[in-house]
Amino acid sequence: MSVTEQSVASEVSNRRVRVIALMMGVIGLFSLVVFAFGSVSSAHSSFLFNPVNLSESAPWHVGTLTLNSRLADVLLALVMIALAAETFIRRPARGVMWRFGGVAVLFLLALLIWAARSPGPSPVSFVNLTALLIGSSEVTMVLVFGSLSGVMCERSGVVNIAIEGQFIGGAFVGSMLASTTHNFIYAAIGGAVVGGAIGWILAFFALRYLSDQIIVGVVLVTMLGSLSSYLNLQVFTPFPQYNTGTLAPNLAIPLLSKIPVVGPVLFNQSGFFYLMLILIGVISFALFKTRYGLHVRAVGEHPRAAATVGINVVRVRYVNVVLGGAIAGVGGVAFMASQGQFQPNYTSGLGYIALAAMIFGRWRPSGAVVASVIFGLSVYLSYTLTSYQVPVSLYVLQMFPYLITIAVVAGLIGRVRAPAADGVAYHHD
Amino acid sequence: MRLELRGITKRFGSFTANDRIDLTVEPGQIHSLLGENGAGKTTLMNVLFGLLHPDEGEILIDGEPVRFANSGDAVRRGIGMVHQHFMLVPVFSVTENVVLGFEPTKSLDRVDYKRATADIVRLSQQFNLQVDPDATVENLPVGLQQRVEILKALSRDAELLILDEPTAVLTPQETDALMAIMRSLAAAGKSILFITHKLKEVRAVADVITVIRDGRVVGSAEPTATESELASLMVGRDVELTVEKSAFSPGESVFEIRDLVVRDDRGLVKVNGVSLDVRAGEIMALAGVQGNGQTELVEAIAGMRHVESGTILLNGRDVTNRTPREVLDAGLGHIPEDRQRDGLVMSMSVADNLVLNTPRRAPFARRGTRNLAAVHDNAVRLAHDFDIRTTSVEEPVSSLSGGNQQKVIVARELSRPLEFLMASQPTRGLDVGSIEYVHRQVVNHRNQGNAALIVSSELDEVLALGDRIAVMFDGRISGIVEPTASREAIGLLMAGTTGAADE
Repeated sequence: MSVTEQSVASEVSNRRVRVIALMMGVIGLFSLVVFAFGSVSSAHSSFLFNPVNLSESAPWHVGTLTLNSRLADVLLALVMIALAAETFIRRPARGVMWRFGGVAVLFLLALLIWAARSPGPSPVSFVNLTALLIGSSEVTMVLVFGSLSGVMCERSGVVNIAIEGQFIGGAFVGSMLASTTHNFIYAAIGGAVVGGAIGWILAFFALRYLSDQIIVGVVLVTMLGSLSSYLNLQVFTPFPQYNTGTLAPNLAIPLLSKIPVVGPVLFNQSGFFYLMLILIGVISFALFKTRYGLHVRAVGEHPRAAATVGINVVRVRYVNVVLGGAIAGVGGVAFMASQGQFQPNYTSGLGYIALAAMIFGRWRPSGAVVASVIFGLSVYLSYTLTSYQVPVSLYVLQMFPYLITIAVVAGLIGRVRAPAADGVAYHHD
Repeated sequence: MRLELRGITKRFGSFTANDRIDLTVEPGQIHSLLGENGAGKTTLMNVLFGLLHPDEGEILIDGEPVRFANSGDAVRRGIGMVHQHFMLVPVFSVTENVVLGFEPTKSLDRVDYKRATADIVRLSQQFNLQVDPDATVENLPVGLQQRVEILKALSRDAELLILDEPTAVLTPQETDALMAIMRSLAAAGKSILFITHKLKEVRAVADVITVIRDGRVVGSAEPTATESELASLMVGRDVELTVEKSAFSPGESVFEIRDLVVRDDRGLVKVNGVSLDVRAGEIMALAGVQGNGQTELVEAIAGMRHVESGTILLNGRDVTNRTPREVLDAGLGHIPEDRQRDGLVMSMSVADNLVLNTPRRAPFARRGTRNLAAVHDNAVRLAHDFDIRTTSVEEPVSSLSGGNQQKVIVARELSRPLEFLMASQPTRGLDVGSIEYVHRQVVNHRNQGNAALIVSSELDEVLALGDRIAVMFDGRISGIVEPTASREAIGLLMAGTTGAADE
């Protein structure tokens, strides 16, 4: 690349950084006008930081925090605007996504303060921040499983749009196994097998018959949605004993789980949550440190080059799509285990949000996790904010992940580049 | 390594791509395989590299017969290949690309990058192939990317290197550097099989030359042979390497662009303030290494790409940012760079392709319906006049050879009244006979007092056709020279050194 081309490239990315900085500024101003000045000056918002069942005498019990709603939101909005200004002026080469993610989190917090405000001196409602994080961690966990599945598949060059279907399949079989064996390990294995099998079908059509991966994926999701509704009617309705499910038990890690606020969120979770933490580390390591990962990324970027050095492109893709499917299948079981039982179509598009998280996270496990946290929080808030006085439709909040994703895919935030051969059929000749 | 091919035959159905080919490469020898496109060079290399299996014949390495099931086998026996289209992952580092498929590993399947980098540094010092092991490949110039390919082969202990048309994408200076590398590799005992159709390079670097035509070895030559001897061996008859042009007497300026700025699909400025004018009776040749903005410039002129600023004047009319239809109607004839994508509809007949830009005009259409008889008659006449070889003009154009496909485009563009002809890489991938033909057509057009702009990355073509030669580098015109300028001077301009031209 010549010097001019480089400077032109940076000129373009500078423009993108400015656009994203402006978006951050707009979000900050919106928070200032709507949230900060939408509260009367005397309004208060109260926050709790303890798990719901924690006794007040416990030594790690944290007291209630009461804030002046307007003041707090003004401060948050100013921080957002300051971040926007800093990004606009300095145009940092790295970390723009992190700044944007930070603004997104602050926005959600400002929204929360505004939604939970009590006009009078005594609080009408409390926001239990810890309970909120615990609640959203269930959605986040499912999104992480899904986006890791997406990373596995797309890094090898196959678009796995069937994640939603793998969730449904995993949840169905998981509920059946959990109800009959009362053992979530069997349920997880069953979910992995079903998800892997769906992945195999996708891989088979995509790799053997070079079918359009998006179409095969959408067909699989539609088919599994209908199939699970049908089986639900034929099996679970007449034999409810197969769909009793149960909540996966929490395994508290000694000491760590007692850390105020974050302890209960990170260290008092089901086995699925810890499995997710392990998977994040294992997949990051495998993709970026190992020979296997180098082969996967080469196959996803330039399959012909990989083939000329003796890498079996089709086999690498099969392996990754089946593994990716298995991960999404376990995600489905994890979702079922957090809801207690299977219901038809109750994943309600989480598989697609997971794909959006993967894109926002730039096809990296770590990025996908950060995106899943933000998206999980906003999805969960849209479920729960109904209990507060919010004059806007909560469906607007449900659009949040998609709006962010559109901004990302449109290339507004930094340089987002999919693996070059993502979704492209490979002709072996 | 001593490589011997004995009686290699490869058939595809009834077509024999390689017919009993014998070839021997001695250790430390640079052996050139010279042949036109379609002569069977690539098939032979794919057989040798284990990508295809010969129907007959055998391959011997140091006297011992070998069979390659796949390219991995060939690599293990010490054969390395530098592909014409580099087999490099653009977003990977040099190190990652070099080790891909043959990674040194530590525990837990981890790639041992430290060791890999050390190996690369050692190899690049040994063979004088300097390159930064940590650089990302897509940020490297093409010449350096080729070094990475060579390093990749050497790191697998290649004793024989196959270089497939390695100079197609290089500047003359990069070509010289590559030749120096080839010589030093040969001096270190490596054998080199150098595939090309460029006569100058063969004469400059080869120890032995084998010429193939129509799948057969038709002779061998010493590097002392003249270019026209080599060319007639390659084509099978005497070839005119130079085109007869009438005296140069330029008239009024027909075509003019001023301060043109054009961006590519990624939004990068690829044409950065280009001004040019072409006069009646003049061929302006635009030289330059691929990717320096020529493609975007041509697309902008043809109305296929948005012009950010600047103006394009055709016969005094402003055609900036007009649709392709309007530009063609204003009198532009366009022979596009990618003929199969932009020049033809491959699934349509030769006859329909010949009226592709005039389908609504009489006599090909009347009151909104097509006059198929006129289309057919037009095609029969043009096929005769322009020597398009086809069994029927109603055959799909995809059934024609590359040379005949190009003739369809040339016939279509030159058979209607034109103010200005723009041809981009008009002879890429064509055999010598077709090249001769296309050149003659372009020169005829000019001799009749018309203007033409010929964009080419082939220096020979630029020198043969141009009345003036503009050189493009990095989105700008780095200089305009007379066709009498030396290859070195043009080469320097192609590499962006503007000093020489400013005087």
